[in-house]
Amino acid sequence: MSSAERRTLVGQPVVRKEDPDILRGEARYTFDVELPEMLHVAVYRSPAAHARIRRVDLSRALELPGVVAGLTGEQVRQLGYVNPLSPFPFQSRDPFRRGNPTIKFFDHYCLAWDKVRFVGEPVAAVAAVDRYVAEDALDLVEVDLEPLPPVVDSAAAMEPQAERLYEDWDDNVMLTFRVSGGDVDAAFRQADVVVREEIHSGRFTGTPIETRAVAASYDAGVKTLSVWTTTQIGHAIGTLIENTIALPDLKVHVMFRRIGGGYGQKWAFYPEEILLPLLSILTHRPVKWVETRREHMTGTIHAREQTHHIEAAVRRDGAILGVKDRIVANIGAAYPTGGLASIVTTGMFVPGAYRIENYQGEVLGVVTNKTPYGAHRGFGKSEACFVIERLVDRIAARLDMEPVEVRRRNFIPPDAFPYRSVTGPRYDSGRYREALDKALELLDYDHWRKEQAELAARGRYVGIGTCLVIEPSSSTRMGSYNAGYYSVRMRMDPNGRVYVFPSGSDDGQGHATSISQLVGDELQVSFHDVMVVEGDSLACPYGSGSYSSRFSVVGTTAVTLAARTLREKATRIASVMLRHPPGGLEFSGGGVRVEGRPDRAVSLSEIARTAYFYPFQLPEGMDPGLEVLYHFRDPNIEFEADERGRVAMFSSFPYDAEAAVVEVEPDTGLLKIRKFVSVHDCGNMLNPLIVRGQHVGALAHGFGGALYEELPYTEDGQPMAASFKDYFLPTAMEIPELVLGHMETPNPFTPGGFKGAGETGAVGPPAVLANAVEDALRPLGVAVRRLPLTPQYLWSLIREARGADPGAAGQGDAACPTR
Amino acid sequence: MSAKRKVAVTVNGRPHQGEAEPRMLLVDYIRDVIGLKGVRYGCDTSNCGSCTVVMDGRSAKSCTFLAVQADGRELTTIEGLAAEGRLHPLQAAFQEAHALQCGFCTSGMVMSAHALLARNPDPSRDEIRRGIIGNLCRCTGYLPVVEAVEAAARARKAGGEGGTP
Repeated sequence: MSSAERRTLVGQPVVRKEDPDILRGEARYTFDVELPEMLHVAVYRSPAAHARIRRVDLSRALELPGVVAGLTGEQVRQLGYVNPLSPFPFQSRDPFRRGNPTIKFFDHYCLAWDKVRFVGEPVAAVAAVDRYVAEDALDLVEVDLEPLPPVVDSAAAMEPQAERLYEDWDDNVMLTFRVSGGDVDAAFRQADVVVREEIHSGRFTGTPIETRAVAASYDAGVKTLSVWTTTQIGHAIGTLIENTIALPDLKVHVMFRRIGGGYGQKWAFYPEEILLPLLSILTHRPVKWVETRREHMTGTIHAREQTHHIEAAVRRDGAILGVKDRIVANIGAAYPTGGLASIVTTGMFVPGAYRIENYQGEVLGVVTNKTPYGAHRGFGKSEACFVIERLVDRIAARLDMEPVEVRRRNFIPPDAFPYRSVTGPRYDSGRYREALDKALELLDYDHWRKEQAELAARGRYVGIGTCLVIEPSSSTRMGSYNAGYYSVRMRMDPNGRVYVFPSGSDDGQGHATSISQLVGDELQVSFHDVMVVEGDSLACPYGSGSYSSRFSVVGTTAVTLAARTLREKATRIASVMLRHPPGGLEFSGGGVRVEGRPDRAVSLSEIARTAYFYPFQLPEGMDPGLEVLYHFRDPNIEFEADERGRVAMFSSFPYDAEAAVVEVEPDTGLLKIRKFVSVHDCGNMLNPLIVRGQHVGALAHGFGGALYEELPYTEDGQPMAASFKDYFLPTAMEIPELVLGHMETPNPFTPGGFKGAGETGAVGPPAVLANAVEDALRPLGVAVRRLPLTPQYLWSLIREARGADPGAAGQGDAACPTR
Repeated sequence: MSAKRKVAVTVNGRPHQGEAEPRMLLVDYIRDVIGLKGVRYGCDTSNCGSCTVVMDGRSAKSCTFLAVQADGRELTTIEGLAAEGRLHPLQAAFQEAHALQCGFCTSGMVMSAHALLARNPDPSRDEIRRGIIGNLCRCTGYLPVVEAVEAAARARKAGGEGGTP
C-alpha cells in the first residue's frame, strides 16, 4: 500500500446506502412476498396451556368457500416423509462431548399431535385464497382438548410429584450444566462474610416490529422448494428443512434478504418453517403466513426468566473470593430455539467483569407450560450481569462500603488481559476501571451524592447506581449451527464492480454500508460500486448467519481478508499488463498504476476483463476470474470443553460502564430517571453512526426490560401479555436523554480491531437502575431482587419496609411483610 | 362475503377508484388494491403505527380505518413524499441522523413526523417525542428519530421550504 492511497471510509460516520430504498417505501420484506395463485395460511393455536389432544376436525373449515386445504399434526405424521423438528442450535445430545450439559429431547412436529404444552402452540393450519377467509376458517376449526394440570412455575415443575410435560422423561429438567473453576470450598472457608441472595430475572423478550412470516413455493418440476422466512440463519434453516422434510432430490433455497429486526427472536428453528413448505407441497401452490402480533406474543420465543440462588465468599475489604450460583431457568416447552445455549451462557458469565477465581455454577433448564425460551439481545449474559451487578451492590451494603469501591476492588485489571476466566472464556481486552471512572465523571457523581443527601433531608428518595456490563460477542459452539467461522464470497466483475456475498443476515445492522466501507478502502473503489447480496442460501456461501454481534468481529475480518486476496491477485495481473514488478504498484482511483505514474495505469475493469476474457494472458498457474471464497475462523476460541465444563465460546468482549441517577416517588412507586450515562467500548468503530445507533437501540431494549416489559402467566398457564396493549415496550416518551461516552480498546485478535457493538446496551439498564433504586430506598432498607422495576413492585417494597416499622407513615394496612 | 362497495380516493395527488368489502382494512386496500406497498403493519391493536399514513392532512393509522371510510378522502403515503427520485428533506434528515435501521417502522414513522411538522413546524424535543408516541420502534431507541425531526425543522426554517402534507 502506498501513500497515494486514501482510506476515507472505515472509521467514518458514513450515512447508509440502504436508506433511500427504505425511505421511499421501496423496501420489501417477507410480508411483501407475492406469487401467482398464492394461498394465505392461518394457524390454529392452542388456547390451553397443557392438554391431551383428543380430536382435531377441519371438516367445517374446509367447507368454507375460499378455503383450499388444511393440515393437522396427525396428518403430518402420517405423510411418511416428515421427521420431527431437527434440534437447534446444538445438533447432538452431547454437544460438548463430555456428558455436560446433559440434554433431553422430544420429537415435536410442526403441528402438535399428542398434547399441547403451551398457549400458542401450533395445532392445525388452513390455507385459503386470502387472509380474511383464512382467519374466518380458524373460527370453524374444532379441537377437543382434555385438560391436564398446568405446570407454570419452575420450582413447582421440579417437585417430585409435578405433572410431567414429556412423559418419557423422568422429570421436567431438560438441561443440566455444571461449570466450575478454582476451589470454591476453600474460598468459602476463608471468607470473612458470606452474602446470599435469591435474584429473579423476569420473563420478557424483544418484539421486533416485523412479526415473523414464512412463504414457501414448491416447484415439483425441478424439485426445488423456495422458502422466504424472517430468519437470522437462512443456511441453517435450509439444512434443518432438509433434515425434517425427507424428500429425495429436494433442493432447498432459503431467502432472507431483508429482516425487520431480529435481536435473537429470529435465531431459532420454528415449526412454521416446516408447516409452510408442507402446505405448498400438498397444495401445489405458493403459500404465505404472516404472524399476527397476538400470535407473536406466544408463538415467538420469550427470554430472560431465571432464578439465581447465589452466594459470595467475601473478604472484609470487599474482595470477592468465590461465588456459587444455582440457576434455574424457566424455559417453557422444549422446542428447537436458542434457549439452551442461552442459559448455558449465563452459567459461564456470572463472574462478569470481576476477577473471581473460584466459582461453581449449576444451570437447570426446566420445562413448563409456557412459550419456549430463546435468544434475546444479551443472550444469557444479560441475566448473568443483572445477578452479579446486584450481588456486588448487596455485598457493598453488607460491608457498608460504596458499591463503586467494591467494583474497583474486584475488576479484572487492564494488565491481566487477555484474561482466562474461571469458567473458561478468554476476555480479550478491557479497561473497566477507567470506563467506570469516566462514567462517574460524566454523571458528576460527587455533585449527585451531595444532591442526594440534601434531597433525602427533605424526604425525597434519590439514588445513584452503577454497573459494568461485559457483553461477550461472536459466539461459537462446537457441534452446532454456529461453529466459529465466517464465510464470504467476493467477486470483482468485468466492469470492476465488486459483488460481496456475506453469510449473515441483515436485520437492520447496516451490513451493506459496512462492507462497502471496508471493500472501498481495501480496493480503492467507490463506496457505491460495492454490491452486497445478503440473505440467499444459494447465492451466499454456507455460514451461520447473524447473531451474537459477530459481524463486527468475524464478518468484517472475512470481508477485509477476502478483499486483500482479490487485491493481491489483481496486483499480479496488473503487473503483467503494465510489465512492472508487483512491488512498485499502487491502487488508486479505481485502478492500479506504477507508483506515482498515472500515465502507466490500468483500470480495475481492464484487469478484470483480462482475468475473465483473456485468461491466457494471466501469469502461469493462475486461475481465470477474480473471485474468492474466504473463510475466517473466529480467533480466541477454545472449542474443547474440559472436564469441569470450561470452554471459551466467545471471542470478543465489548463492555460498557453505566451510571444512573433516579428518583422514586414513595407514595406511588414511580421511578424517574434524572440522568443516565453509558461509556461504551466496542473496540475500534467501523462506522460511529451505526455503532451509536446500535447502542441507543440496545439501551432502549434495556430500559424496556428494566422498567416496563414482562410476560406474566396466570396459574392456569394463560399468558397475560398477549398484545401491545398489555406488553409495554417503550415509546419515544420512555427513553430518557442519554449521556454517551466511548472508549476504544481494540480487539487484539482481528485486523480491524472491532468488537461486537449491538447488544451491550441491552444488558446494563436493568442492573444499573435496580442498583440506583436500592440506593434511593436505602433509608428504608429495601433490597431489589426482581424485574421489572414497575411502580407496583417498588411501591410494594416501600410498603413492606414501612410496614416493618410501625413508626413509619404507611399506606393503609400494616400487614407483616413476607420474606 | 359481503358485496363490495366502491371506494374513490385521491392518493399522493392522483385519483383512484376501486372496490372493497366493508370489512377490508384501509392498510390492505392501499397495499393490495391501490398497490402501494410502503405501508405495512406490525400489530393487531393500533399500537405500532407502522401503518401510519396522512389522511386529509392528519396522521391516521390505516389499520384502524376501513377502506370504505376513506371514500372521498385524500391520502398521502410514504411514496408521495419523494419527488422524482430526490428524497424529501424530511427523508434526507432521517438518513443523515441514522433514524432507521431495519426500516419496518420507517414508513409510518416518517409519515407521523411529516404530519407533526405540518401542524407544528418548530417543535421542541418533548413535542417531537409526543408527536411520535404512536409509532413503536425497536431498533433505533427513538433518539435519532427525534434528532432527524429537529434537523428537518431547522432546515425548513432556514431554507423556507417544505413539502405539503
